[in-house]
Formats: sequence, structure tokens, C-alpha cells
Amino acid sequence: MRISRALTTVALIGFVALMLLPLYSMIVLASAPDDSDLSGLRLHGFALFDNIGQIMTDGRFPRYLLNSILIASAVSVLDVAISAAAGYALARLRFLGRAALLNLVVIALSLTPAVVMIPVFVALSEIGWLNSYQGLIAPFLASALGVFLVRQFALGIPAQMLHAARVDGAGELRIFFLIAVPLLRPALLTVLLLQFLAQWDNLIWPLIAASEQELWTLPLALSSFEGEHGIVYHLQTAAALLSILPPLALFALLQRYYVSGLTLGGIKR
Amino acid sequence: MTRTGARTMAGSEARAGAGLAAPAIVYFVLFWALPALAALYLSFTSYDLSGTPQWVGMENYRQMWANDEFWASVRVTLLYTVFAVGPTIMIALVVAVPLAKPGRLRAWLRALVFIPAVMPLVGATVLWQVIYSTGGLADTLAGAHPWLTDSGYAIWALLVMVIWKYVGLYVIIFVAGLQALPANVFEAAAIDGARALRTFFLVTVPLLRRTFTFVIVVAVTGAMQSFVPAYLLTKGGPVNATQVLPLYLYNNAFSYSRFGYASAIAIVLLVALLVFAFTQFKLIRSDEE
Repeated sequence: MRISRALTTVALIGFVALMLLPLYSMIVLASAPDDSDLSGLRLHGFALFDNIGQIMTDGRFPRYLLNSILIASAVSVLDVAISAAAGYALARLRFLGRAALLNLVVIALSLTPAVVMIPVFVALSEIGWLNSYQGLIAPFLASALGVFLVRQFALGIPAQMLHAARVDGAGELRIFFLIAVPLLRPALLTVLLLQFLAQWDNLIWPLIAASEQELWTLPLALSSFEGEHGIVYHLQTAAALLSILPPLALFALLQRYYVSGLTLGGIKR
Repeated sequence: MTRTGARTMAGSEARAGAGLAAPAIVYFVLFWALPALAALYLSFTSYDLSGTPQWVGMENYRQMWANDEFWASVRVTLLYTVFAVGPTIMIALVVAVPLAKPGRLRAWLRALVFIPAVMPLVGATVLWQVIYSTGGLADTLAGAHPWLTDSGYAIWALLVMVIWKYVGLYVIIFVAGLQALPANVFEAAAIDGARALRTFFLVTVPLLRRTFTFVIVVAVTGAMQSFVPAYLLTKGGPVNATQVLPLYLYNNAFSYSRFGYASAIAIVLLVALLVFAFTQFKLIRSDEE
């Protein structure tokens, strides 16, 4: 029994090491002084900070980084606000249009983004929003998943709490802001994290909607990372490494919520 | 409480509800409902963004039906979906069973195995571009091969990356599912002298049914819509060997400006996804009855 447990542990460590090998090689490649060895197994010198310095001073990388931070932050904050309001209203308030909203959320959940992509592109091109920040932000202002998660969570708020506040004469908006929002915090953080990561990683929409380099985001920059003489792998890898750090940090901070968001629906019976 | 009081209370609830829901309603109408209808309309037109859409009836769908490139793309998508989902879920489950057990080391391994899944996909794909380049890690480990430039290798090279990227995600979901299972079932199985493999197939797998359904739905719908790895690693090539449907759609719309035809592809993709979701839903329902 003990031997089999030890063997399992060794096998698990081996598997995890295999999974992390590409990451290790990423760090080696990003730290390499040049492109002479792409195998990424052995460090020939440590130039990570020089490489990062070069990326940050040559060219427009800082601009792309800033665009990514701006767009991902704006989208995730707005999504949280809209989802919080709509999710709470769906779960706890009776109003005209409630059935309509629920239907819209179900429609949005079951449609693939590929279906709406072309018409949204055509519409934004008609009103001149291509190559603009609002054109990059507007299509993701809210999310069906966000509304859905908040609604599910809001259903769990004890009814007596809201009722007591009503009897005390608190208005509906006051109840929402002062009682519901604090209680909804775990759900709202989940939505914030999921949407931030999704936008940070959004390639296809900026690819279509931002042909001007001024508006490029990190995914676009990484996908066409070229120096004067074609792709410079060690710099490209260093840039890729930089791009994965903010999401990893955010994830480490909000891990609990992220996992609960991912596993929602998977285990409840 | 007077009757008027109750009425104003309901009134303020209705006003607050409508007010809170309004931004979301406007958003979902403008960015989902109307575009979905527009996509259906565009799929019956010929449209290149200049001028107005010309009604052509079923012509786009007829062309698609007769188009070898479309069917090649369907085959690639099916192959990609089956081999991205099947091995990923099997590996994840086998790894999750021992990883779900308590222990400090295992908690660490759980966190580490999840890292690729948390990495942004674009950054991860760029890394694999270097891994598959000449003299890269893949060459070092498995001998030199034209990983991304030979149509026999490209799709498999793509799949290895995708499995690596997502296996940790499903490990975590399975671990969560396993940890939610009642411990006494396993104790009972152990007391009955059931061997590990027997317990796995007769106790663990059936109890995880709901987790399986969830994971399969998420993985299949995700794989069918996957765009980034194929776009970044191979651009759909060589000779369309990795042109999955979303990439075929993208190319038609944004490389050839065939917005009507691309909309028809989007509708076909949507129908395929809905049929799959509906079948799953039916299976779950019959399972619960």
C-alpha cells in the first residue's frame, strides 16, 4: 500500500514536470542573450532583464501593454456593474421586462460569438467605430455568463434580510447597493476575473476591429512580433512571458473565486 | 401596512428592477439578439461590405454543400474536437484521482498542474511556436520534423499543444468533483476489499457522471469554436490541413470579404453546436428520470 502510494506520487511528479517543461523552456528562451539555441533546455547566459528592457524601449510594446490594461480593465469593471444590477434584478425583483431579459440571457448563452461577430463588425463599421476604443470595448460591455453567475448567487441571499430592510423603509436601490452588493462580492470577483482574463486574451476581435497599430493589444502584438530581420525568438518569448504575468498574478490573488466559477454546475447535484 | 403602501412598494420594486436591468437589456438586444437575426439574414445574401447585401436565397448554403474546402474543414474540426477532448479528459481523470487526495505535496501539484490552463492562450501559443520551430524543444525531444509545415504533422502538433493547455483545467474540475463525493462510499468499497481499478470503474466514474457531462459539454463546445491555436500556429495550413471551421469562417469574411458566405458558415456552426447541446440536454434529462 505504501509502495503503491509512493509510486503514484513519483508518477504525479513526473507528469507535473512534463507539464511544466514548456514553461521552464519559456523562461530559458526569454532569458537567452540571442537566438542561437532554441531548444530552451540550457541557459547560456541570463539576459532576461536586458531583453525586457529592449522590448520596453524599442517600438510600441508599452503602448500595446497600456491598451491591453485599459481595455481589459474597462470591460471587466463595466461587465461587473451591469451583471450585478441585472443578475440581482432577475433573481430578486419583479419588474416589467424580466422575462425578456431572461430570454435574452439564454439566447446569448447559447449563441456562439462567431455568429454575432460579422453583423457587429458591419454595424460598427457603419457607425465608424472600427479603430476606436469604444469599438473594442462595446461588444463586451456585459456578458451572459456574468448575469447568469450573479443571478445564481443572488438566489442564495436570505429573503428575510431583504424583507427586513424593506420593512425598515429602505428603498430598493439602497437595498441593492448597501445589502446585496456586499453579499454578492464573491460572484462579482469571479465575473471580474473571468472577464479580465478573457479580454486580456482576446485576439480575434482586435484583429478584426483594430487595423491601426495605435490600438493594438498584447495578443495582436505577440501574434505579429517581428524585429527588423523577421521574428526574434528570444525577444518574442520574453514578450510572451511578460504577457502571462498579470493574469497569473490576478489569478493567484483570486484563485478561490476562479475555481468556484469554473466548477459551477459541474459538481452540484 | 396599508394597501396603498403595498402598492407603492411593488411600484418601487418594478421601477428599481427595470432600472437595474435596463443596461443589460439594451446590451443583449444590440449585441446579441439583433446581430443573430442579422447573421441569419446575411447568410441568404451576397455581401462584401461595400454597397448593400444582395438576396441570393439558399445560394451560400448550396455553394457550401458543393465545396470541398468546406467539407475538409468539417473533417478537420471533427478530428480536432475528438482528439482535443478525448485524450484531455482521460488524462485529466487519471491524474485527478490521486491528486484529489489530501496532502501538502498534492496541493502543490494541483496548483502547478493548473498553471498552463491559467496562462493566456495567445502567450502560450507563441511559446509553442518557438517549441515547434527548427531546432526548438520539439526537435530536441522527438527528433527533427517539419512539425507545423507538413500536413501530416501539423494537426497533431496543434493537438499536443491544446491538450497541454487544457488538461489542467479538467484536472481541477475533476478534483473538485471528486472531493465533493461522499467519503463513506470509498470507505465501504475499501472495506469490501475492492481493488483500486475496480473502485475507479465501478464507484468513482459512475458517481462523477454529472461532472463528466459538464466537462464534455464545455470541452466539446470549446473545441468546436477554437480559433486561436490554428490561426497562430499554422494559419490553417499547410494546404488547409488545420483549417478548422471558425478559421474557415474568418478567412471567408475577413480575407475574402465574403460576408454572406461566412455568415452561412456561422449559422451552420451554430446549428451544430445547438444540436450537440440539445442532445446532451436530452441525455441528462433521461439520466435523471
